[in-house]
Amino acid sequence: MPSLAEVQQQMRNAVVTGDANGIGALVTGGGDALRRLAIHQRHYRASLMAALMGRFKATAWLVGSEAVESAAATFVREQPPVVLCLAEYGEAFPQHLSRHVATNRVPYLAAFATLDWHLGRLAVAVDRPAVARAVWAALPPAGLVDLTVTCQPGLYYFTADRPIDELMRLYLTDAAPDRLALPETRAWVEVRGNRGRLTFARLAAGEFAFRKAAHTSAPLGGAVEQAFAADDAFDPSAALANLIDANLVTDLEIAPGARHS
Amino acid sequence: MSSIPRSLSQSGVGLRLPHIEEAVAARPNAGWFEVHPENFLANPHATELLQELARSYPIAIHTVGLSVGSASGLDRRHLARVRSLVDRIDPVLVSGHLAWSTHQGEYLNDLLPLPYTAETLAVVTRHLQEVQDGLGRPFLLENPSCYLGFTGSTMTEVQFLSELVDRSGCQLLCDVSNVCLSAHNMGYDAVAYLEGLPAHAVRELHLGGFTAEEDDSRPGHAVLIDTHSTRVAETAWDLYTHAVARFGATPTLIEWDNEIPSLGTLLEEAARADQIAQRTLSRESAHALTR
Repeated sequence: MPSLAEVQQQMRNAVVTGDANGIGALVTGGGDALRRLAIHQRHYRASLMAALMGRFKATAWLVGSEAVESAAATFVREQPPVVLCLAEYGEAFPQHLSRHVATNRVPYLAAFATLDWHLGRLAVAVDRPAVARAVWAALPPAGLVDLTVTCQPGLYYFTADRPIDELMRLYLTDAAPDRLALPETRAWVEVRGNRGRLTFARLAAGEFAFRKAAHTSAPLGGAVEQAFAADDAFDPSAALANLIDANLVTDLEIAPGARHS
Repeated sequence: MSSIPRSLSQSGVGLRLPHIEEAVAARPNAGWFEVHPENFLANPHATELLQELARSYPIAIHTVGLSVGSASGLDRRHLARVRSLVDRIDPVLVSGHLAWSTHQGEYLNDLLPLPYTAETLAVVTRHLQEVQDGLGRPFLLENPSCYLGFTGSTMTEVQFLSELVDRSGCQLLCDVSNVCLSAHNMGYDAVAYLEGLPAHAVRELHLGGFTAEEDDSRPGHAVLIDTHSTRVAETAWDLYTHAVARFGATPTLIEWDNEIPSLGTLLEEAARADQIAQRTLSRESAHALTR
């Protein structure tokens, strides 16, 4: 009998890739144990494909279930989960799908599928209490540049060369027209989710850069610099006021190594 | 809001995500609920609802990903996440499976079989101790549903489980449907299996639906698949009567994970379990008085 680790490696290969070399002599059951092993192979494939199909419903709506299923079949073989909550499986699927499907007709497929994946995450997010206005008001203005903020967990920022946010809204409202023109136009989008409710907001380039940088824990001074790089007309005072008004900030921290006055 | 007292003496149902909002709103007549933590750890909204439900019902946690049989070790990050949920819910029972599902960092999303050998016994014992230390409470181990065995096994499943109880201090979750299914698929006596389990360690019973399909390995015969997609089979109800007679009054749960029906259907199954348990326990009491 090989070691337990060797047995499990062989069974893993059989279940994930169908390579049952070596395992046949080790297992018993029914008249042909390898056919019983196929029950596990089938369950692995079917359950993970079902998880992906459940997670990428909008994508299947866009390009058809067959295309997504076909890509899912190769994805589960090539990229088994490394997370134990299946809701977290499939983050890399959009890239896999865009390699699998002829994307000349749908050049925005990876971006749309990525948005689809994030909507699943945002839909189950729960807002945390926002930092109160009185706390903001008590901050010394000179310290704001070194401030880092923690934002609400249900946020996703993306830019797109086509209005995929409009496309997604059509899917979510079940309002797809027979034909839809998706002109090449730059959009800067914030999506927010809280307890099953999703809201989309198009932002100006500067405000988008500011919020996205703040969301990724850049000091506010750095976020402002990124915003000006994106948009000369950026107004930092208005952007900060909007951030506070939208209750997007849940925690504040002075960045490590900050200047003390 | 209902103020009906809930308890483990009434059968519970496995609570899956499609039912959680209804359960919070309607407070159905279930004794208790059991959840898979893997459905909640990445779902803060569902966890929030579960915490609300935990104020009115006993909640049990039944892990499907802890993989105590993995030679490559426990996923300690996952154990810590389960612990965080345990701390928030304060469950009445915490359980998992005699199986493996992770290998070298990959999660195979199945409960895969183990050879019953001295090496496996040492691995599972070590992991059970780590899980119980990590969770700060006893862990109930569920007997698997089997399609396969191993030529190299040196002990039966019942011997293996009994050794685990002795060595790790774990308790047992006897899935009656799994006993029924495995006995059919692997060709052993289901009642003898129940008789062999250490009764003092059995703290929970499960009942779930399985599906018969053509056994490709034995044309003309059926293999039972642990689908959890249908009502509990009559053979499993019959075996449940034996289980109640053998283990006494034990918290019982109805599991249904695929093609999930209405909550009402699950409660019907739970009510049937209660009727069988009451009838069996009354009969046992009567026998005891007349002996």
